[in-house]
Amino acid sequence: MRAKLEEILFRVAIDTLEKLAFMFAFPGEDKENQQKGSMAAGSVSFTGHFSGMLVMTISIEVLQELSVNMLGLEDGEEIDGHIRSDALKETINVICGNLLPAIAGDKVIFDIDVPRILPAGEKIRAGAGIPDGLAPSARVNLKFDEGQCVFFLFLDGEMPKEVVSL
Amino acid sequence: MAINTLIVDDSAVMRSMILKTLRMAGVPLGDIHHAGNGRDGLDILNEQWIDLAIVDINMPVMSGEEMIGRMREDPEMKDIPVIVVSTEGSKACIERLEHMGAIFIHKPFTAEIVRDAIKDLLGLGENDESKT
Repeated sequence: MRAKLEEILFRVAIDTLEKLAFMFAFPGEDKENQQKGSMAAGSVSFTGHFSGMLVMTISIEVLQELSVNMLGLEDGEEIDGHIRSDALKETINVICGNLLPAIAGDKVIFDIDVPRILPAGEKIRAGAGIPDGLAPSARVNLKFDEGQCVFFLFLDGEMPKEVVSL
Repeated sequence: MAINTLIVDDSAVMRSMILKTLRMAGVPLGDIHHAGNGRDGLDILNEQWIDLAIVDINMPVMSGEEMIGRMREDPEMKDIPVIVVSTEGSKACIERLEHMGAIFIHKPFTAEIVRDAIKDLLGLGENDESKT
């Protein structure tokens, strides 16, 4: 099931970033703790057919490009930190909104919470309220010219049987 | 014909993206108004002449679905064309919105999708498109 979830998460993330911000990514290396440089992080929780949380970490340089492209600004234009945060929250919201029906189909209902920005570095798990020792059900790394972006999908408990069978 | 447009979304970045997309799509825009939730959107509709409302669904304070429901109950607002731009993936929710007369556009969207939705909703022809 993990491989299937990661395939769906990868496809949705790539498609969303391309359409939302004209950004093209490649699969990154699947190594733990490989993130270097300054990172930002956001999360969004969801409840419904199954519940959980999507966490996104992103290099500051990639977030800057994401924000510039979403707003249609020129490269190098200064952007306030709160605009970058808003761009990150909206991106993770759109990815989560497309991910859940891609996993479970369009007949089920999910309630997606308001996205939020997480403290950087080692405090991400604590800031997101993820229990110690809980492994992500899916993890996807995307590589860009300027840095990287990593998605972690955490699920509460078991997936419903009909979803597992997908 | 200049279209006075209300954009309702709790994300300022998404409101800017929608406006950018409207301009890319060649929509002849008049006055543009912004709101961060459904309640503020209704306040603007009460005060301004609006030809088109573009509304998100999941917002704090008042959702887009509640806002559209209230619009449809108000004789002054019930005929204002509405486009919903949202990540909502539930077929049942989308059908409820369409039943209220809204056109649904899924995020992420392209300028062509937005242009075609506005053309359908407002009955615009090629001569109505902005030349800028």
